[in-house]
Amino acid sequence: MYATSFPAKANSHFPAITLGPILEIQVKCSCGEEKCPEWAILELQGVVEAQPSFKDRLQNLRIGTLCRLTSQENYTFTVGYHELTGTKVPLKKPMLVLKKIKLSTEEEKGDINSTKVELDVIGVIRQRILFKTRPKALISKPQSIEKEKVSADVSN
Amino acid sequence: MEIEKSLPYGEGGAEAILNVQSNTSISIAYHQLFGPHDDLMLLELDEKLLPDILNQRVTLRGQPDEDAVLCTQSKTYAIKFVGTSNSVFLIPPSNLSIALGASPNSSEKDHDNAVVASVIKVVPGSMELVEVAPRLDKLKLLLSENPYSFDEVSQMNIELTHKNKGLYSWSDLVEKVQASDEELCTGLRALAAVEIDGYWRSLDENFVDEILNMLLHNAVLNDWLLSALNEDEVLPVLEADGFPREIVRHCLGVYGSKVVDETRGGCTWRLEERPVGVHFARVILRGKKMNLERFMEEWRKKVPEGMNGSFDVLEGEVLTEKIGIETRIYAFSVSSLPSVPAERFSKLFQEKPKWEWKELQPFVRDLKVPGLSSEGLLLKYTRRSQPSADAEPIFSAR
Repeated sequence: MYATSFPAKANSHFPAITLGPILEIQVKCSCGEEKCPEWAILELQGVVEAQPSFKDRLQNLRIGTLCRLTSQENYTFTVGYHELTGTKVPLKKPMLVLKKIKLSTEEEKGDINSTKVELDVIGVIRQRILFKTRPKALISKPQSIEKEKVSADVSN
Repeated sequence: MEIEKSLPYGEGGAEAILNVQSNTSISIAYHQLFGPHDDLMLLELDEKLLPDILNQRVTLRGQPDEDAVLCTQSKTYAIKFVGTSNSVFLIPPSNLSIALGASPNSSEKDHDNAVVASVIKVVPGSMELVEVAPRLDKLKLLLSENPYSFDEVSQMNIELTHKNKGLYSWSDLVEKVQASDEELCTGLRALAAVEIDGYWRSLDENFVDEILNMLLHNAVLNDWLLSALNEDEVLPVLEADGFPREIVRHCLGVYGSKVVDETRGGCTWRLEERPVGVHFARVILRGKKMNLERFMEEWRKKVPEGMNGSFDVLEGEVLTEKIGIETRIYAFSVSSLPSVPAERFSKLFQEKPKWEWKELQPFVRDLKVPGLSSEGLLLKYTRRSQPSADAEPIFSAR
């Protein structure tokens, strides 16, 4: 159902962010310091692609299986016939999950300037499970590997 | 395993991922609300800023045409978006799925009946914070639009003055100037601004000149000591001449400092040599270059007796140039220069291609770049040359 592709692109830095017509945005936190819920991140190189027939309705679609191997923080992530191996790593700095909330003023006149925006902190992320390696194919044909070996030997 | 089985679909969430037991597995799926969710953003920040954020002491500030900054009570941070080409799957905790609008009774079940964690969005990158200097040049610009002058005092025409443009309240300034509250306060103090009828104003230079002259004049008439000006005596006298008490008190604060005087009641002020000297130098040099000796003569006449008129107090306020045998002096104030280092150095070298350290120092010592020492600043923005080992180093543009 899935394939993974791996473009070798470096991180791109975009210069800046503007607020649009809003001048000041209050950053709120409805959960409070103690109770801010922790979110999770799975990060892998490349892109997970669904089969074309599922592309426009990914909701509820199963991606794969995450398996913790031993008592250490080692994991496999099986996507289709690809298996990735990775580890859980703590983030150097925490990340907040912010949700932009538009508060419309009581008399809505369609005036953009009257829309107030707030950013609500709805979660914090402190660790991620990172899959740095290229995927290993779970279904492999021994003959083709044999062939490759042979051709490699010949070229040497 | 039993726990896993007892959990219905969609209740795994982030907790399930963060607490996977050894030798067990969970299913990863797209959330029933999976989508771009542009309203969800990630912000990376220092652990030490977390309390500020979680206690709601942080705002984002910026005009539509400016890059937004994040302000805590005391500091300003630029916000950079850092994109990634990795696939970053964002997984909310299970209870939040409902808060985001998902229905708890999903008809689909995982075929193994295993715990499922659902991906709400694939994150294109995150925002990062970089501490920056506050953008106070704009504050200077805004306050210079409509300085408070003697005309305004004498007219007392409230309707006319309040219709005038260029009046800014604290909340106007917070909206327009990208700086934290503390930095904005410091900036207003540096500009000697005063709050009048709810608006922050700078004082017109001529108006200040009149107040200072009147103060010095009355000091002579009434035998006041410039090192011990009693507020209760000074304010009524100047008020009688048409200068509002609040403005005169403000000027005492700008051009003097409070002294503790237990023998007399009320507040006592000492006029300070530097701000007073700088004020009169500015008035004399307004818009022109002058022969240095002639300037010194005129300036010493203006500076009140008891102050010795040392040229040192004009550091960072004037420049001199040699033309033939004549030395000329002109006003060149550090406070009129940009506060962004690259722009500051560019302006300085435009004014004068070569600087000795003694000359340059007063014009750069206020520059503060987080993470860069003053030596680092010089290395970055100037070229240092030394004609011989014992000669003074000369700084020029890179």
